[in-house]
Amino acid sequence: MKKTFFLFKIFSALSLLLAAVSWAGEPVQLRILYLNDFHGFAEPYQPAGSPEKLGGIASLAEEVNRLRKERPTLLLAGGDMIQGNPWANLFEGKSSIEVMNAMDFSAMVLGNHEFDFGQEVLKKRIRETRFPVLAANVQGMSDIKPYVLKEVSGLKIAIIGLITEETPITTHPKNVMGLVFSPIIDSAQKVLRELGDRPDLVIVLSHLGLPTDRRLAQAVKGIQLIVGGHTHTRIESPMKVDGTLIVQAWEHAKVLGVLDLTVQDRKVIQYEGKLTVIRPDKIRPEPSVAEIVNRFQKQTAAILDEVIGEAQVDLQGKGSRSQETNLGNLIADILREETQADVAMTNGGGIRADILKGLIRMKDILSVLPFSNHPVVLKVNGHELKSIFEYGLTGPDGSGGGFPQVSGIRLTYNPAAPEGQRIKDFQVGGIPLDPNAWYTLATNDFLVAGGDGYAVLKNIMEKNEGASIPDHRVILFDLGREIGDLVTEYIKEKKQISASLEGRIQKEY
Amino acid sequence: MRIWLNDQPLSLVPGMKVRQALIQANLIQEIEKGAKVLDEWGNEVGLDGALEDGMRYVLKSAE
Repeated sequence: MKKTFFLFKIFSALSLLLAAVSWAGEPVQLRILYLNDFHGFAEPYQPAGSPEKLGGIASLAEEVNRLRKERPTLLLAGGDMIQGNPWANLFEGKSSIEVMNAMDFSAMVLGNHEFDFGQEVLKKRIRETRFPVLAANVQGMSDIKPYVLKEVSGLKIAIIGLITEETPITTHPKNVMGLVFSPIIDSAQKVLRELGDRPDLVIVLSHLGLPTDRRLAQAVKGIQLIVGGHTHTRIESPMKVDGTLIVQAWEHAKVLGVLDLTVQDRKVIQYEGKLTVIRPDKIRPEPSVAEIVNRFQKQTAAILDEVIGEAQVDLQGKGSRSQETNLGNLIADILREETQADVAMTNGGGIRADILKGLIRMKDILSVLPFSNHPVVLKVNGHELKSIFEYGLTGPDGSGGGFPQVSGIRLTYNPAAPEGQRIKDFQVGGIPLDPNAWYTLATNDFLVAGGDGYAVLKNIMEKNEGASIPDHRVILFDLGREIGDLVTEYIKEKKQISASLEGRIQKEY
Repeated sequence: MRIWLNDQPLSLVPGMKVRQALIQANLIQEIEKGAKVLDEWGNEVGLDGALEDGMRYVLKSAE
């Protein structure tokens, strides 16, 4: 009896000792797989200037499965997953979520482009996910969580989501109505206080961009790893800033991020990270993900072939580089109507095809407007507006890619007059232009960036820096929709489409 | 927003991306020839990558 009791005491002491050793923390190995800014680029493609095709989410999924078998793994998404390529856009991101569910993601942070289909669609998408969707600095949407706690091999891991505070200015204002985007440093510190001692490892899943990730690492202690996105940065080996590791996996599923960590006593004691390039000719596609990709690809082709309206006359676009066209008028009118601007202009060089009288299919719009140009509305004064058009009419005989197709404007010009003095008569809404009045001008981001040589537009931005009156020259910059989307929606609504030449821009020698 | 590309300052609307910076600098055609845009830490960035005020980039020609 005494012997039994003695053995029991020894056994209890040994158990306590073992428990103490466990609590002190054996090193735990963990693999973090990550991608960001997928934007629905489900199929492999050959990037501009690249000698080979890269990417393909089904091949990436196969690589994920292979790596998962080797050690305990988390699979993380750094945002901007559901919007971008038609494969995603035509289904408002449903295709992306289905693939992500099939790949068994551990968590995803919201990216700014997740809001581009509007809050109701985003809520629908979040409710379809089989993983948590995170953003600790967004208030007003209950489906979003600030963080999630995961346990892997006994390791308690907190994953905190943070999204760029610039989201409200990169999507249509209606998409973020009622939401508050709080400062990220405050939000991170608040969550860390709430988490306290619970996690052994804190990961920030960020859609902030690398510069802000670095500032976060410098400003906030207690974050061991930031898995980033937004800047589409190809960080080949993890960066370290003030003890925090920072990684990011480029874009479009062209690479998979692989980070192996050894964690002990709440510290990363060893790490090794790289980006694995996804070469579709070398990695077979994972069958269940390939099935989803192909299914939505077939539906994409069917949708693009759908009839959306009927042209009552030939809509001529090909001549838009040198003269007013009825299709140019229609596109400019749609841009002005949808943005409620005083005037609208788009560059003739961006209109690449005609739509013949008869049925209009969605793919016809892609042919007419193949470039991903987004609507921008600027506040300009009359003097600036005239300068914009003086430039636009400076090609030989006033032609060139920048030749403007317009709405809300009538002007006459003499192509033979000296540069800067060609416009003779300029009316906005039927009233002579007032050089000192302010007008709202709807155009596209290509021109505002200075494309087709529109330096006068980019100079407005330069002048704006430090300008006090009027504030906010940029009224709208809708990165979530393209001009082609506005045209498609218009045609779907009106069904019967007609447009005519009206002498909006006339030569007068 | 102001960024620098090859030490040239560019003024862009907040929200614009690497692509628009290249357009403004009249360098977008270099991408077709295999050039890459690198951030100030030497990382390649995608054309649809977000920009941040004050960032510096270089365009590296294809080798």
